[in-house]
Amino acid sequence: MKNRPDVLQGTLALMVLRTLEVLGPLHGYGIARRIEQISGDLLNVNQGTLYPVLLKLEQEGAIASEWGTSDNNRRARFYRLTRAGRSRLKAEAAGWEQTSAIIGRFLAAKAEDLQ
Amino acid sequence: MRTLRRFLVRAGAWFTSRRDQERIREEIEDHLARQTADLVRAGVPPTEARRQAVLKFGGLDAATEDWRDQRGLPLVDTLGQDVRYALRRLRSAPVFALTTILTLALGIGATTAIFTLVHAVLLKSLPVANPDELYKLGETSRCCFWGGYSQNGDFSLVSYELYQHFRDNTEGFAELAAFSAGITPLAVQRAGRGDAADSNAGEFVSGNYFTTFGIQAYAGRMLGPADDRPGAPLAAVMSHRLWTRRYGADPAIVGSTYTLEGTPFTIVGIMPPGFFGDTLRSDPPDFFLPLHTEPVVIRDAALPHADLHWLEVIGRVRPGAAATSIEAGMRLELTRWLRSHESEMSANDRAKLSEQTLHLRPGGAGITSLRDAYERWLLILLMVTGCALVIVCANVASLMLVRGLERRRQTSLSLALGAPPHRVIRGPIIESLLLSLAGGGVGLAIAFAGTRVILRLVFPAASAGAPIAAWPSPPVLAFAFVVSLATGLAFGIVPAWMATRADPMDALRGTGRSVTSAGSRPRAALTVAQTALSLALLSMAGLLGTALHGLESQPLGFEPADRIVAHVNPRLSGDEPAEAAVMYERLHEAVRRIPGVTGVALCVYSPFGNNSWGSGVVVDGRPAPGPHDDTFASWDRASAGYFDVIGTPILRGRGITAQDTATSRHVAVVNEAFARKFLDGDPIGKHFGQHGSGSEREYEVIGVARDARYFDFNLDEPIGPMFFLPDVQHDFKRDAPSEDANPGSHILRDIVLRLQPGVHLSSQAVRDAIASVDPALPVASIRPMSEQVADAFGQQRVIARFTLFFGVLSLLLASIGLYGVTAHNAARRTAEIGLRIALGADRVDVVRLILRSALTLIGIGLLLGLPLAAAVGPLLSSQLYGAEPLNPAVLLSAALVLGATGVAACCIPAFRARSTSPADALRAE
Repeated sequence: MKNRPDVLQGTLALMVLRTLEVLGPLHGYGIARRIEQISGDLLNVNQGTLYPVLLKLEQEGAIASEWGTSDNNRRARFYRLTRAGRSRLKAEAAGWEQTSAIIGRFLAAKAEDLQ
Repeated sequence: MRTLRRFLVRAGAWFTSRRDQERIREEIEDHLARQTADLVRAGVPPTEARRQAVLKFGGLDAATEDWRDQRGLPLVDTLGQDVRYALRRLRSAPVFALTTILTLALGIGATTAIFTLVHAVLLKSLPVANPDELYKLGETSRCCFWGGYSQNGDFSLVSYELYQHFRDNTEGFAELAAFSAGITPLAVQRAGRGDAADSNAGEFVSGNYFTTFGIQAYAGRMLGPADDRPGAPLAAVMSHRLWTRRYGADPAIVGSTYTLEGTPFTIVGIMPPGFFGDTLRSDPPDFFLPLHTEPVVIRDAALPHADLHWLEVIGRVRPGAAATSIEAGMRLELTRWLRSHESEMSANDRAKLSEQTLHLRPGGAGITSLRDAYERWLLILLMVTGCALVIVCANVASLMLVRGLERRRQTSLSLALGAPPHRVIRGPIIESLLLSLAGGGVGLAIAFAGTRVILRLVFPAASAGAPIAAWPSPPVLAFAFVVSLATGLAFGIVPAWMATRADPMDALRGTGRSVTSAGSRPRAALTVAQTALSLALLSMAGLLGTALHGLESQPLGFEPADRIVAHVNPRLSGDEPAEAAVMYERLHEAVRRIPGVTGVALCVYSPFGNNSWGSGVVVDGRPAPGPHDDTFASWDRASAGYFDVIGTPILRGRGITAQDTATSRHVAVVNEAFARKFLDGDPIGKHFGQHGSGSEREYEVIGVARDARYFDFNLDEPIGPMFFLPDVQHDFKRDAPSEDANPGSHILRDIVLRLQPGVHLSSQAVRDAIASVDPALPVASIRPMSEQVADAFGQQRVIARFTLFFGVLSLLLASIGLYGVTAHNAARRTAEIGLRIALGADRVDVVRLILRSALTLIGIGLLLGLPLAAAVGPLLSSQLYGAEPLNPAVLLSAALVLGATGVAACCIPAFRARSTSPADALRAE
């Protein structure tokens, strides 16, 4: 097995929110596929772990869901971003960018910079 | 915010779990179908596609499990599961469950019953508005009268004049109320009905009494300042208890007229049901009268005397006023008032004037005579029941451990299969809590039945309508609940801990082979603790029993057998001394004529009547006593033949006889203690007098009687000096020779009847005889003198029996514990024993083997118990009459009883082990 990073709880939620923002309402399988595609199969996501995250986000009011019909006439549960979810995504994305910028700077730093 | 929202949604989801379950299943199914379809499109064969889809999805069960953890309230869910599981397990062991619940119920019930009393007597405030604002005067209880101008550094009783002085000169009190410290028996008749007179207790209170306490009338109105003035219409308030019990809550009582001691009073109102007056006592007053009616009702009234202190004082402080500054102000006022009376003081009082001071104490609990009297009993009882509860806990913990061991294999399996340890621990704890809560529930029922029984035994006088409710109050319920939880945890925690230590490998390998068994050490420790505590309880019971026996068998100085005491309540006012003497004579005659009665005497107070007159004694021919000399002696008045009737031997001279008349020389019979303390040489013919009456030649000693007990509150102290005066002789004041110095001392309340041995006399016969003389004369009680004496030991007997009961119970539990541990060990070592026997061990060796470990436990328990019992002893003796701190005989016999019972309990499994068949034992391997 290749050594692929585990997905942190919070990051998966952020990915879900971002996916829904970009692509609009999607069913669970669709979200899983997009995350897989975007992360380029680098992430080891057991697709099953997605569903508890969806439930949690829904309970927190960041996303809403309802039954609908998909392209090939199959009944599916569609998830969409709520207004609260949108602002949460914004806040969390900003936080994440800040964190990664800081970490990036640390990683870029050379010995002489730190003296 | 987000968390709260989530919690609410989850709580909601918990109710819709079935539908949600459906949803997740459908969603996963959809997910897998899409994945499969995509894979098929990519060219994977359909069966393989499905497999890959499932693989990619990950553990199906894990996903739903995860999902379920997010949904609803898993804690509540699993808790419900665990509770159901525990219930199922308990149902499968009904004998264990029932015995455990019953033992727990006994322990919790007894502790709760005692706590109910502790709460009612020791912790509760009066049921009045804002009890924290109330302050009372004095720390010492001086019921009920105190004469003169000194009270040993703590003025706790005041005269009416001093009360007025405080009331009018103290800032900081919103109200300052006064009330008689003692209660007065009143002859009560409802006017115009012709009923026989009752004897009810009355209390005199100031006009602002009810406003001070903030008490509203249940019906009618309470007394007010307008009722407490000289010349005001005579008004009284009746207790709710009397109103409902005697008069069927008749609304017409309010406004009706009652004759109290021959004087008509209007009943203006009924007290509220929960209020029994300022003092928690076993016989609360039924009538409340204004202070100013005291001279109307009582012939030698206390109200007019500045130097006769008979009132307790309680005040309600103004909001914001500090009690300490009020106290300082009152001290100044006390000194000011005392100075204004300096000219009337005796030399001794004047010498002690500078020592006089007072203390203000929180009065929210009222005057606590009952508290003083019962505190030590209740605390001892609480200690005993607490000990018993600990023993019960140890026993149940031991049983739980065995259950835990039986379950070991299963627990190990659960752990091996991945059960989270926190749930494995939770199992036994939930089981323990269920048991202890059930025990607590049953215990509450026992507690309330028990409280009633104890109330009846400890307060026999107040069996009807005691001022203590034996009923669940929120604090008591909370106490029972907390005790149940605590016991549940106490006996559940060790088995729970043992459970997690189960090693899966061990279990799967097959337990039961090891010689040393897990869990035997905690059980052994529990058994040792039980044995030690049992020894302490047993020796406590022994000490109490011996002390009680010692008290009961001490010489009383009179004969309680074949004597009856009728307690009557002669009118306190109106009767002239001459008339009274005639009435007593007629009473004597009438009672004497009852068949079977061989002697009758009347007296003010009979033995164990718990009261007496008292005064300082001045002896002819001795120097006048100084301010700090103890000259106190009790005294009593009695009719001719008194000593003969109560059975007190006259050791020298003669008793009171018919030759002592109103006009003959004044004589006195003294007891041995009096003769020892005050009279040198031959007491007969010596003279003495009462301090303050002026003459030290007032009485001539004509006889010495054996010391007899008159009080039950100092049973462990030597009998004090006492003298007896003929009822027909009156002491007159020196400055007013026609005025009786102590008219109240001629009210003879007790009629003592001596019966022919073996004769049973109905109380109705005595009542009839008394009614034939005066139908309006109230008879308060008629009881055998032996009962009056037995009552004095009642409390001590209840405590002793109670302790004995719990001692025996703990003995039983400890034996069961020992038996259990020994039997368990024997069973575990069956294989070993079989092997030993097969290898040629003697059967006696087997018994020795099993007994050795059991005896070690008993030995250690006893060794630990001895210092414990020795430590409890002094605690008891400081609290109890006549209890020795350390009685080696008692301790030794307690240890012997405990040891013998323990050994007997261990012998059963030991002898059973002897008959182990080696073949069977080895085959069982």
